[in-house]
Amino acid sequence: MSACTPKSLASSGQKPIQEMCHPLGAEEAVLTPSPDVRNITSSIGEKDQILPNGTPVETSSPSSSSSLLNRLQLDDDLDGETRDLFVTVDDPKKHVSTMETYITYRVVTKTTRVEFDLPEYTVRRRYQDFDWLRTKLEDSQPTHLIPPLPEKFVMKGVVDRFSEEFVETRRKALDKFLKRVADHPVLSFNEHLNSFLSAKDLNKRQGLALLSKMGESVKYVTGGYKLRGRPVEFSAMGDYLDMFTQKLGTIDRIAQRIIKEQSEYLAELKEYGPVYTTWAASEAELQGPLEGVASCMANCSIALDELTQDMSGDFLPVLREYVLYIESMKAVLKKRDNVQAEYEAKLEAAALRKEERPTAKVPTDVEKCQDRVECFNADLKSDWDQWQNNKTQDFRQLLTGMADHNIQYYEKCLAAWESVIPVLQDKQPQETETEED
Amino acid sequence: MMADSGPEEIAVIGNTDLTSAELENNIKNTMVEIEKWTSLLRKMEISVGEAEKRTGKNTVNMQEIYTVYLIETRPVDAVTEGIIPAPDSLWRRYSEFELLRNYLLVTYPFVVVAPLPEKRAEIVWHKLSADNMDPDFVERRRVGLENFLLRLASHPVLCNDKIFYIFLTEEKGWKEMVYETGFQAKADSRLKAMNAAFRVKNPDKRFTELKHYSDELQTVVSQLLRVRARVADRLYGVYKVHGNYGRVFSEWSAIEKEMGDGLQSAGHHMDAYAASVDDILEEEEHYADQLKEYLFYTEALRAVCRKHELTQFELEMAAQDLASKKQQKEELVTGTVRTFSLKGMTSKLFGQETAEQREAKLQVLEQQIEEGEEAVKEKNTESDEFVKTAWLDIEHFKDQKDRDLKEALISYAIMQISRCKKGIQMWTNAKECFNKM
Repeated sequence: MSACTPKSLASSGQKPIQEMCHPLGAEEAVLTPSPDVRNITSSIGEKDQILPNGTPVETSSPSSSSSLLNRLQLDDDLDGETRDLFVTVDDPKKHVSTMETYITYRVVTKTTRVEFDLPEYTVRRRYQDFDWLRTKLEDSQPTHLIPPLPEKFVMKGVVDRFSEEFVETRRKALDKFLKRVADHPVLSFNEHLNSFLSAKDLNKRQGLALLSKMGESVKYVTGGYKLRGRPVEFSAMGDYLDMFTQKLGTIDRIAQRIIKEQSEYLAELKEYGPVYTTWAASEAELQGPLEGVASCMANCSIALDELTQDMSGDFLPVLREYVLYIESMKAVLKKRDNVQAEYEAKLEAAALRKEERPTAKVPTDVEKCQDRVECFNADLKSDWDQWQNNKTQDFRQLLTGMADHNIQYYEKCLAAWESVIPVLQDKQPQETETEED
Repeated sequence: MMADSGPEEIAVIGNTDLTSAELENNIKNTMVEIEKWTSLLRKMEISVGEAEKRTGKNTVNMQEIYTVYLIETRPVDAVTEGIIPAPDSLWRRYSEFELLRNYLLVTYPFVVVAPLPEKRAEIVWHKLSADNMDPDFVERRRVGLENFLLRLASHPVLCNDKIFYIFLTEEKGWKEMVYETGFQAKADSRLKAMNAAFRVKNPDKRFTELKHYSDELQTVVSQLLRVRARVADRLYGVYKVHGNYGRVFSEWSAIEKEMGDGLQSAGHHMDAYAASVDDILEEEEHYADQLKEYLFYTEALRAVCRKHELTQFELEMAAQDLASKKQQKEELVTGTVRTFSLKGMTSKLFGQETAEQREAKLQVLEQQIEEGEEAVKEKNTESDEFVKTAWLDIEHFKDQKDRDLKEALISYAIMQISRCKKGIQMWTNAKECFNKM
């Protein structure tokens, strides 16, 4: 059952799409189990069976158990530090009101940190809330790289904002965003994050936020100072980001092309199998073998369809989201440039004044600027390192995921063809065995 | 090889070391003894070893380039005694094969004569050139011609044909010998008969069914070959696009520190994956050739059915002619005119004939009736003989077809299994590289 037309998400209460629980979550009993936890056989999203307590069932295919490991490794720190803050975004639900229709997501937090009153929280948030959080983070931590959110605006006519596919893609991106923030050594202690994760109702704070929208970050963006030259290490970062963006663009195009070629191949394959069935109708001895080949091809078609869906759903969105991540990083680099430019300008002005009045002290605002530059540089460098680590991990996961999808596809086809050989040789195993056909 | 040996209870002419003179003698003996079930392959190995290009003048005295094929023969016993003598060999071009086949079609109309491989490459997918000089096409044709000869040599009736034997053993003078048999005249009348429109009242139902079957088989196999070619085309596209990953991973690895090695080697695997499709599709052409042979066989089947219709029609015409003569005689004897005839009219108009005239006419008619009865008996025997021998050959053909096509399907399934295993291997290799990033 391929979902060629995206299904609409059911309204609140029906068919939740369950996210795999955290390692920590697996040890405890599930908090609020949804009324109908059952095997999801949709061709979009996770295909593995999930037990009620959140641990996935290993399927017989070895590659799926290793891809399972990959997903578990998502949140592993390379340094092996123990973590004390775990967040998950799942369970999208549609809300219909007279004014508008929108989706909310469940945000589950588990933590041992003292900054939080309780060890666990469950709240519901919508995209607007995530956007608010990001803005607050940018304002309050201007020297740090804030992870990107998925695109805010979607063309109404082109994309169905409530289709299962779109919602799932967005949910994954929001989950990623929150996890990255929670993993950040500085951002994770931000008070706004705390509110976001724990407050029952964000609305009031949102009102306040609107008032204080003119945050500090504005200072960093509209400095109006011109930078002399970027230090080598930062310009190297800039160059790298530009080249990386280019490579990602190429990979995106290739992936799209592959999906297109595979779809066309699938279309022909769907015509090919039935010809064998037609032929079988005019044969006697050959009827069994020909029909066997036809059904084998039908199975291969299904497997190919699943591969294409997986690549569309898993691979492309993550690739595209990385471009946004790069844009965020570039923006931070620019901010840093502005801070440095301001400092250099003030320093020059002070130097001029010193010439006139040699006894004057260095003005304090120049010192402050110097501090700011040095802080920013330090923060940026450490963020850059973490970003590189995350990038390596993310792409390792993305590419091994792609390899896994392809391996699974070939394994399904292999099984289909191997099972047809005895039919062709006329060996009749079907009468005694009942397991697979 | 699709060789087939006849029934076991056959007296095989024992051969020790043969000189060409002894061989010649044996041919004559064979023709005299008319061993219908001796397979030629028991006596000699036949193969089409190589192909070469020649230049020469054609019938309108223009320069042309054509391909010749080396036919090698060797007595079977020579090998079994441990000595492997060099085979006898001669060169033949495609048109000579065509001449041989036409001769056999005319001489043995009750035989389903094996078809020749394609003269030109039809139903190609884009990579295969439709050029007759293309080495891959020439190679496949070589295999097809060898198969053709082996089919003839293992046919219980055809293998004994002298012209066939000379085709295999004497390069010069063969063509002249064929024309000397006078088959050309028979060929022309056969062609005329094939294209003539006539209606048979009582054909043997089995032949009517066979004609329908061969029409259906032709339609479905043509369709199968066309769709298969399109599928091959698409599959080629899918594999080749993956080669682009090879290039972009290589470029990307140049700007990475940690990920560089993993990406680079993964890229090589992607290149290998893209390249692997060439061999895969070349192998599949062999499957297409097996299908094509049976596609072309349908023409031979139809020819035999047509011949049956022709002999049946001639029988019916002879019977009809006899019946009308008998009726004329009756009219003359009884003096009544049962059906309108010009004779009746003229005799009414111009008066009765004299007794002598009537007697003369009666005698002529009785002579004609006698001859007519002979003719009908002859045609009847001919028709029965044809139906018997033809149906025997058709049953033989049906068994061969079921066996061969089953084998073709099995080898196709094995090809697919091998392709799937290669795919799994390559993606697993790539995945290992990704994991090392």
